[in-house]
Formats: sequence, C-alpha cells, structure tokens
Amino acid sequence: MARHQLDSFNHFLAHNLQKVVDEQRVIETDIENRGKSNEPVWVELGQVRIMKPLVREADGSQGDLFPSEARLRNLTYAAPMQLDMTLVTSGERQEPVVTTIGQLPIMVGSTACNLFGMNDDERTSHGEDPLDPGGYFVVNGTERVLMTLEDLASNKIMTEFTERYNERIYVAKVFSQYRGYRALVVVERNKKNLLEVSFPSVAGHLKFVDLMRALGLDSDHAVVEAVSTEEDILTFMMQNLEESACDSVDCGIMYVGKKLAPNQTRDYQRKRAEFVLDNYLLPHLNYLMPFGLNEEDDGYLEAVRGVRLAKAHFLGRMAEACFDLVLDKRRIDDKDHYSNKRLKLAGDLMEDLFRISLNRLTRDVKYQLERASMRHRDLSIGTAVRADVLTERLLHPLATGNWVGGRTGVSQLLDRVDHMAVLSHLRRVISPLSRSQPHFEARDLHPTQWGRICPSETPEGPNCGLVKNFAQLVEISKGVQIDDEVLSALYAMGVEGLKGEAVR
Amino acid sequence: MPSPKRIGKITFGLLSPKEIRTMSVRKIIWADTYDDDGFPYPQGLMDLALGVIDPGLRCKTCDQKAADCPGHFGHIELAKPVIHVGYTRLIRKLLRVTCRSCGRLLLSPDEIQKVSLTADDELGGEVLTEKDIKKERACPHCGELQLKVNFEKPTTFSEVLLEEGRKSEHKLTPADIRARLERIPPSDLRLLGINPDVARPEWTVLTVLPVPPVTMRPSIILENGQRSEDDLTHKLVDIIRINQRFKENQDAGAPQLIIEDLWELLQYHVTTYLDNEVAGCPPARHRSGRPLKTLSQRLKGKDGRFRGSLSGKRVNFSARTVISPNPNLSVTEVGVPLSIAVEMTVPVRVTTHNLEEMREFVLRGPERRTLRDPCGANYVIRPDKRRLRLGGDNLETIAEQLEPGYTVERQLRDGDIVLFNRQPSLHRMSIMAHRIKVMDGKTFRLNPAVCPPYNADFDGDEMNLHVPQTEEARAEAAILIAVQENILSPRFGGPIIGGIHDHISGIFMLTHDLRWFTKSEVLYLLKYGEIDHLPEPGRIDEDGTPRWSNKQVFSMILPSDLNMVFRASSCVNCDECRHVDCERDAYVRIVDGQLVSGTVDKKAIGAFDGAILNRIIRRFGMDRASRFIDDVTKLSIRAIMIDGFSFGIDDEDLSRTEHGQIEEELARAKDDVERRIRIFEEGQLEPMPGRTPEETLEMQIMQVLGKARDRTGEIAGRHLGLGNSAVLMAVSGARGSMLNLTQMAGCIGQQSVRGERIMRGYEERTLPHYRRRDRGADAHGFILHSYKEGLSPTEFFFHAIGGREGLVDTAVRTSQSGYLQRRLINALQDLKVAYDGTVRTTMGRIIQYHYGEDGTDPMKGSFGDPVDVKGIVESVLKEEV
Repeated sequence: MARHQLDSFNHFLAHNLQKVVDEQRVIETDIENRGKSNEPVWVELGQVRIMKPLVREADGSQGDLFPSEARLRNLTYAAPMQLDMTLVTSGERQEPVVTTIGQLPIMVGSTACNLFGMNDDERTSHGEDPLDPGGYFVVNGTERVLMTLEDLASNKIMTEFTERYNERIYVAKVFSQYRGYRALVVVERNKKNLLEVSFPSVAGHLKFVDLMRALGLDSDHAVVEAVSTEEDILTFMMQNLEESACDSVDCGIMYVGKKLAPNQTRDYQRKRAEFVLDNYLLPHLNYLMPFGLNEEDDGYLEAVRGVRLAKAHFLGRMAEACFDLVLDKRRIDDKDHYSNKRLKLAGDLMEDLFRISLNRLTRDVKYQLERASMRHRDLSIGTAVRADVLTERLLHPLATGNWVGGRTGVSQLLDRVDHMAVLSHLRRVISPLSRSQPHFEARDLHPTQWGRICPSETPEGPNCGLVKNFAQLVEISKGVQIDDEVLSALYAMGVEGLKGEAVR
Repeated sequence: MPSPKRIGKITFGLLSPKEIRTMSVRKIIWADTYDDDGFPYPQGLMDLALGVIDPGLRCKTCDQKAADCPGHFGHIELAKPVIHVGYTRLIRKLLRVTCRSCGRLLLSPDEIQKVSLTADDELGGEVLTEKDIKKERACPHCGELQLKVNFEKPTTFSEVLLEEGRKSEHKLTPADIRARLERIPPSDLRLLGINPDVARPEWTVLTVLPVPPVTMRPSIILENGQRSEDDLTHKLVDIIRINQRFKENQDAGAPQLIIEDLWELLQYHVTTYLDNEVAGCPPARHRSGRPLKTLSQRLKGKDGRFRGSLSGKRVNFSARTVISPNPNLSVTEVGVPLSIAVEMTVPVRVTTHNLEEMREFVLRGPERRTLRDPCGANYVIRPDKRRLRLGGDNLETIAEQLEPGYTVERQLRDGDIVLFNRQPSLHRMSIMAHRIKVMDGKTFRLNPAVCPPYNADFDGDEMNLHVPQTEEARAEAAILIAVQENILSPRFGGPIIGGIHDHISGIFMLTHDLRWFTKSEVLYLLKYGEIDHLPEPGRIDEDGTPRWSNKQVFSMILPSDLNMVFRASSCVNCDECRHVDCERDAYVRIVDGQLVSGTVDKKAIGAFDGAILNRIIRRFGMDRASRFIDDVTKLSIRAIMIDGFSFGIDDEDLSRTEHGQIEEELARAKDDVERRIRIFEEGQLEPMPGRTPEETLEMQIMQVLGKARDRTGEIAGRHLGLGNSAVLMAVSGARGSMLNLTQMAGCIGQQSVRGERIMRGYEERTLPHYRRRDRGADAHGFILHSYKEGLSPTEFFFHAIGGREGLVDTAVRTSQSGYLQRRLINALQDLKVAYDGTVRTTMGRIIQYHYGEDGTDPMKGSFGDPVDVKGIVESVLKEEV
C-alpha cells in the first residue's frame, strides 16, 4: 500500500542523490585572491554512499538502529552519508577523502532501511509489525509522512483567458522548471493583436518579436516560421513585425538590456540581457547545454546559440498556441485534467531538500577552508566539513513540515488511530490551492481521476476536494532519462532539426 | 461598599509632559531591574514605588500588598524629543497645513470661512483636510515661502528644498517638528478638529516617556529560579540604556554625526516600544528571534485587549457537555447531570424567613450522592464578604453561625431556571431559559422538540448552560427568555418549536383514517398526559366493550374550544376538494376541540408549520402551547410504539411488474434522448429563444430524463403505498420526500454539477468507457439504477462527482455565512429601538423613523397581515371560509 512512497524514495537513493551531487560537482573557493601563495583551491565531489541507519551511544559505540528502537528512544532513524571529496590545490590533486557529510533520514522499509529484505519473522524479532507498510520516516521518535503534493504540470504550454478591464486577453503560460528553479513564462495577446512576453526578473513585459530577435532569429521569415505559416496567423504576425523596432540579433539583445537595466552602461546592459536570457527565460531548455561545458571551452558559444534558438522556437510555439486560442482552433486547457497534474512524492521532496542543504554545506565548507587558509593552517577536508550543518538542515524541515520554498505541512505526524488511518495517510495527496477560497472547479471530482484518485475519500469542510487519496490500484509513473533513444527514434521517423541547431 | 460613580462624560486627549510628570511617582534612570539579592534597584525599572508583584513586599507609594496595589506610573526623561509613531499621520497633516515660520494655518480668513461652510462640522470631526490647502508657496499671514514636507515611514520627516532647480532633502529632527507644532495657535487647531485644551499637537512628540507600573509587566520566575522579564520591560531597558548613552554623549559634546545616530536609535526603540509592527521598521526581537509583543500588540487583534479581554471573556457559573434526547422531559426542562448540579451554585440571602432552610442546606454540605438527596450548599459568604468553603467538619459550626446577612451558595435543584445555549448563536432562540431536572448520566438531556431552534442534533453536539446569579436575572430569564416565550420565531411569525420526525410519524399513524381503541389502549396512549377523565366512548361493540376512536384520543389533548379548518401536508391539492370526504383524510376540521376529520401531521403540529400550534398560541397563550407540545410529543411517541415503526432494505422491494415498468419507462426516455440528439446532429433542432442549439438540446435532455425519473418514482410509490414507512414519512412530512424514495426504489436519475450534466473529463468525452462525442444519457451521468439495485462502476463514479459538489457547497457556505453574520453584527450591534419607536444609535442618531420601516412584529401579526380575520371568522362559524 505504501509502494509509491518506497519506490520514490528508493529512486532518490539510487539515482537522484548522486545527480544532485553531480550538479554541484565542485566547491570553488576564493582562496587564490586572498591567501599568500595565490593558488586556486577547489574541492571536487565524487560518489555518495548511504550507510545503514546507526545509533551512536553516549559512550561512542555504534550499533545498528531499527525503527522500533528509534520510536521508543526518541531517536532519528537516519543513516550516515559518505562522500568522496578531493582537494585540489594549484592543480595538484590530493587523495580522495571519504567524509561523512551528514545523516540522511531513512524511510522505513526502503532499500537503505535495516528492515529491507527481512521476512515477517525477522521483522517481528526486531520489534516491527510485519503488516506495517513502512513509507514514513522516524524523526526524534515521531513517525512522519511526507505528503504527496499535486501541482500543475511544468514545462507544458497551457492556454487560458483572463478578463482585464472588460477585455478578453488570450494567454499561453508555461511553468518552466529546471533543477530547483521554477519560472512562469507568459505570452499574451493584447487587444491590438500584439504579443507580449513576461517572465521573472523582467518588470512588465517584452515585445515578442524583439525578444525573438534577441534569441537569434534575425530575419522576419525565421520569426514567422517559428510561430506558424497559417494564413490567419500570418496577418497577426505582420502586425507584430510592424511594431518591432529591431532588425538584428544585436539590436534585440540591446532592447532586452534596456528593459532590464535602464540607465546603465551598454556593456552592462548587454551582459545582463544575455545572462537573463540564458538563465531566467524558459530555464527548462537549459538541459540542452552540454554538461560541464565552461565559458572558456570550445563550442561554448555554439551551444549557447543552440539553446537560445530552442528557446525562440519554444516561444514561437507558445505564440501559436495563443493565436490558435484566439482563432478558436484550440480550447482553453483544463487545469484540473489529471494529465496536467504532476505529483511530487517523498523522493522528489527529499531531492529538493537535499539540494538546498548540500548547497548550504558547500558554502560552509568554502567558508571553513577560507578561514583555515587565512589563519595559515593546513587545508584539510576532514575538518572543513561539518556534518551537523547538513544533518540539521535535513532534519528540521522533516520534523516541522516547513519545507524549503516556504511550504508548510509537508511532513505530518503519521495517523496511527488504526491501520486504515495509516494506509490512508500514506496515500494522501494534497493540493497547494488555498483552502480559504472557494475554487469550485478544483474541488470537483474530475472524471480523469478515475482509477487514480479515490472518488469517495476526501475530508468534509474547508479542505474538501483539495485533499485527496490515491485509488487502490494507482500506479505512479516517473520520468525516464532516455533522451537519446527518443531523439533517435524521432529523427528516424523523419523529424528535422531546427535550422542552426547543432545536430546531436 | 462605596456607591458606584456615574460617568458623566469621557474626553479623549493627549498626555502632556506635565501630566506625565505629575502622575509619575519615580523618575527611572537605571536600566537594571534587580540586584544580586533579587531586590529591585531604586530608580530602576522595577522600583518598589511603581507597585509590587512579589508577595510579602509593600508598595512604597501606597503601602499596600501585591494583591491590592494597582501599580503606579514612573517616567523617563528623554535626552531629546522623539516622535510617537501613532501620531505620524496627524503630524504630517499639521506640518503640511501650517506655516513653517509663523505656525498659522495656510489659509486666509476668507478661505477659512468658505471651507468651514462647506464642511459638515456637526459631529466635531475633522473640518479641514490636507486637500483644502492649495499648493500655495507662501503663507498668507507672514509671507514665508513654504516647502514641501515629505514623510517616510515610519517616523522620518523631511523638507524638500529647491536650489537652482535641483531638489535636495533636508531632514527635520523631532525637536524641529516639536518647535513648529508649538507655534500653531489654538484657534487654528480648532479648525483642524483638535481641542487644544486636551491635546496640544506638540505633545505628539514625546519629551517624557511614561513607564507603566510593574503590575502590567510582571516578571515571571522560571522553574530554575531564574527571572524572566516581560517584553515591555525588555524594551524599556533598551530605551533607558540608549537614553543614558545619549545623555552622556551629549554632555561630553560628541560630534553631530554620533548624536544623530543615537537619536535615531532612541527613536527606533521608542517606536518599537509603542508598536512593533510598523511598516518600514524591522521588528525588535527577543534573543530567541521571536518578535517582542509591545504595547500596540497587546491591544490589537483577536486575542488583544479589546476583542480578547473586554468584548469576550471566560465566564463563571457555566457548564458544557454533550447533549442527548429525552422525550419524557417537558420542552421547558433540561436534564442536568448530578455531577454538574452539585458543582454549580445559586446564591441565596439568609433572612429570618429562610434561616432554618438555609441551615439545612449548610448542614448537608457539598456532598450529594444520589438524585433523591436534597441539595446542599458549597459556600457560605459572611457579611464581611469572606467566602467559606463548606466541607469536612465545618458544617455544624458554620450552620450555627448562620444569621440574616449571610449568603448561602446553594447547589442546583429541580426547578431552578438556567440559560441553555448552542453555538453558533445566530438568533435569539439560540439561548433559551429552561427549568432544571437533575438526572443521572453525564449529558444534558433535552426534549427533541426543542432541537429546531438550537439547530441541534445528537451526533456529538455539545451545549452550554449558565446559571443566573441574581433575582433580576432569574426574573428576566423566566419572563423573556423562557422556552415557551420563544415558540414563535420572529423570523416568520410561526412556531419554531413543535413536533419533529417521530412525533409527526406517530401522530400521523394515530390520527389517520378511523381506528378504534379499547380502554386499556387509550389509557396506555394517554398515560403521560394530564387527562382527568375519558369522554363518552365513541362506539360500543356488540359484546359491550366500549371503544374510543383515534380522533377522540387526539382531541383529548386539544383545548376544548378550539375551532379550525385546514388542509394537512398529505393534501395533494385536488382540482375539486371533497372536504370531509377526502380519500386521503387530508381535510382537517376541528370543532369545539374535537378532531372531526383529517389527519394530524407536519402542517398541524410540526416545527416551522404547526397550524394547530399557531392557533393555540394566539388563542390560549404560550403556556398552553408549551403544554400542548408536551402532550403531543408524548402522545405521538406512545402512538408510534403501538404499531412500531421501522425501515429496512426490503421496504424498497418492488415486484417484477414494477421493475418491468420502470425499465420500460427508462428505455423510452433513452430512445427519446437519442431521437433528440439525432435531430440536433442533423441540424434540425429549433433553438429556444436566447439559447444556442447545444443549450437547447441539453435542456431538453435534462427535462426528458427528469421526467423519466419522476415517473419511475410514481411507479414505485404506487406499489408501495402508505403501508411503507418511507412513503408514510414522506406523506406526513416527518422526514424525506418522495424523491428520496424514488432514488431508493426507482431510479437515481441525472447527476449534475452546477446545474449541468457532467461535461468535463477527457477530450470530447467524460470517461474512456464511452465513445468520443457521445451525448447520450449514460455518458453524461444519468444513473438508471436505484440505490437498492446498486450502481455500475461508471454510475458510482458519476454519483461521486455529483455528491462531491454538494459536499463542497456545504463547506464553502458555512464559512461564508459565519463571516456574513459577523459583519452584520458588527454593523448593527449598537442600534436599539428607542421609546419613541425610532431606531437609533447610541449617539441618538436616528437610523429608522419606525422599526423596520413599518413597525411590524412578525410574531404578533398573521403571516404578514395585522389581523388573522380568516382565523377569527372560522373559530366563530366553525366552518371553512
């Protein structure tokens, strides 16, 4: 019954933990600028390993920890995390050091759990109910469940109307998400048929065509082609092109720069514009950037150009969706359709948490190394890593439910009133919508919830329809990392690459 | 006791520095609180002259102990004046409307004349606003050029200088501002709505800070013996510390920059001391990171002094527990558990007349083990106001001492009047006065007939009980708040207390058609009523056994000269009424207190309807009505027990013929729907005016399916008849309707969301079980099965969709209605009907010249008419008119 919780957490342990570490890859320091020898120093991160949950007694002895003991002694059911860290000083690599970077709370019944693989008798002998489904954490002796969060699907173009000053505004939206970062990009058609784009860090909005120019589509033809060659849309596009003030890529970038940093030097404006385009506009397309490519490396400019082009074409698709809506060729997307929902399970939540916590740890390591260097001590990874930093950061959200990103109630005390309550609690799904507003549509039982969400079980009262429970036979699929296979299949089917895009 | 003083009037003003110093008993200069011995520092924040909180010490000012000393103010002399955050808007206004050099209002006398004429100064409110001042650059009195005054939150004021076209800001110090405010003449202040006798504007800039008495900021001693100071004390410590440093620096002649910094710091501390939630100012925090709770936080908000401590408080002499029903109680009674009755008391003054009785109460003491024990007393209050707890061995001695002048706090006993309440208290019937009946058990017991006014049920509801403590309160409760005084609802003028559920089923079964009872049966039915003798038997059998008709039995509880005619709820409004010969026995006729024909049901005795009840109230008064309710409920409960009444799954059984008919009916409906869809798809559908063809089709489909469902209900109802409990309940109006029966036995029918068929879901279809663009009945939530037959999976899912809507609706509605109620009460709470019939505010302002614009009391009229002519004529003629 708690399979989805366990699968998700196991996937996190097996893949995503390492992925988050790889995202960080190195801890760079500013020692070169300050220390006496002016040598650059950095730390490279390698493999992470999760041990089995341990308990450290007051006398220093260690022993295997089982959930029942953790519950009874108000301990945390957590396992040490070990990470290979290599200190590099002036290009000189030292031996990798295996350091314990902190304690990771372990889900009862997961692969890292001491109960994993035990049969019923063995479980009983360790004080565990063989019928207990697992799927929760034990923090300071209390059992905590991570709620499954239901959210609108990211990286998907959604269209809708908004009513503003008695006028219908047609909007195409996308929640672009990449790693921890989430940004809302909106393309809307105003009453004069002009397209406007807005995204975080831009006050107000940008003209669509000028933005397309900045992203590398210099000819009118390319811009129109990125949207659509449909006749009705062409007329709309003509109006847009007329309004445009730019005719080259450079001009486009300067237009963006002026919007972002008015009254600044041209150089700064250009830098700022490029930075924003690469980082804040449609960040999910940044996965196209080859991994680990640095600014100095060959082919960097090429790659950046490719990504910007991809962003331009994505914006083109959004514009097309917007016009299609205007021309009644497309209906507004049903936000409550379950294909437009994504679920954040325990593993995903732990990933978010671990990413932020690891970030904190790296900053701390950097600070410790710099301090050691200032005091002319020998640099050592062992002393620079303070495991408590990470442990504290991981435990506190789990114990209080105050997750990173300001979400509360993410972890809840497992309802042990009876067995059914436990099962129901482990399979609960909560929606981030506010309970104080009516939100009639979101509370309705949507036919697409058939087979996924229980039609009957929902609380009465203010949370009605926002808190749901999984259906008995629900199966939760997850994204797969087989881009290459999909790409080659697509190319084999006759899909052509974008003009100017590096064929991979 | 000193005679209570009457408050003549209240004036609001500002504390002047002089006043602060006069009321102060100590100048505070030390930031420390206690020395090493735990004794307060003299001239420290906990100075003994400010009052005492430790037991044993005596206040240096009033020489009283901790319990009696109210505390006394101290003061801090500020090194430089600082602005009071609460008055920043007033200061801004004053700075902008007055001259920066002479302090006069920036208006010439003519202009003042003009403005004060247009303004409505009747209420003494603000007469002049910033807008009345034109953006003049020069003062009309002294000709001084004016500068724009900028205000930056929280407390910074600055003047904008224009130098060679360039703007530059010059900061105004609180001292500058104070100097400017001092110059404003009193006559100009009156124009601004300020009374300079009680509130000089410069007093909004503090030069002396009052230090509140220790009694309002007591320190607490933790388990480990450490003292923990109140948030206010912490803040005062900060202020004194900075103030001292400021003074030292000032005396030492520190550079201007340092002085300014310290000044700003002092301003910050005084600001956060007054209000720690000012915009543009980081809140002062405790060492743990918790923001401090300073003066304004104590007053503001739901748990603040006003809403938390003054408008609403915890109350003594109250009890709360779960409620449960007891039909043997009168509606005017409430069953109270013994454990509550012994805990709660009523004060009784000892007089020469009741001295002996009181002695007995005292002698019995607080112990009371069984219901039969007479009540005792818990406390005795001596004439010197000392309260003695009774118990143990002091009973005899205290009983001995008892003499007139003492007060005995007696336990509750049967017949005591109490107030009974269930939240939410939305109308006046939510609190009613009942008479106590001490009972076993742990719950409050009440007659189910009083559930409607409280909106109570017994699924775990709890209710509150309050015991009035004075003779006046008890009298008021008995005369105004008693249950029988509240049978009529002021909402619609009809009875809100009356028979419910089983009362109606029972009385229906008793009075329907004609039945004959033997003497023992009649006595069984009337056992609990106050009937002295039986009337002549209506019939005597051949074997000589006397028999009474069911209508005779019911007539025995009616007042003897009641005359009325009406139609029962079971009446179906035939085209031609057959009156007494009605085949449904729905024509109710009462002549001289005798039920001649008709069935008594919801229309006659039910809560909200109750025609008989209504007539009894108007003709015989509230007390007779409450007795009638008691009699009816008891009689009906007896009546329902003669035959028994139950409902089970096989009560929904239909025969094969009915099933066949239902199926046929549904098949026909389905065909009809398909036919209409075909017409629509061929484009032949004639749209209804103002609707698209799609909307027309939807409406037609809904109509067809609704009719089909109703017809299945008719088929089922025909088969089941009055012998079926569900039909009986629906016909008598006790519970449920024919629709519920239809859904149980016939067909559940169309499920809808917001009035439409279920349309959302996958692309072009609701569920993947149907073809795309299927407009058929079953694909959009028509359920052709009944609850009895069971639903198919898709039907179940559609039913869940429809059910969810109802659930969401109730959840959203309850929260909204609560908020609406709160706003309404806040708006109307001070209005009252004055003796001249007008509705006025407390200030005497007239809101309505006549209450409700027509002066109607819905309880006194007859459903809108001032006189019930028809009723009067009927009771005279004893015929329907």
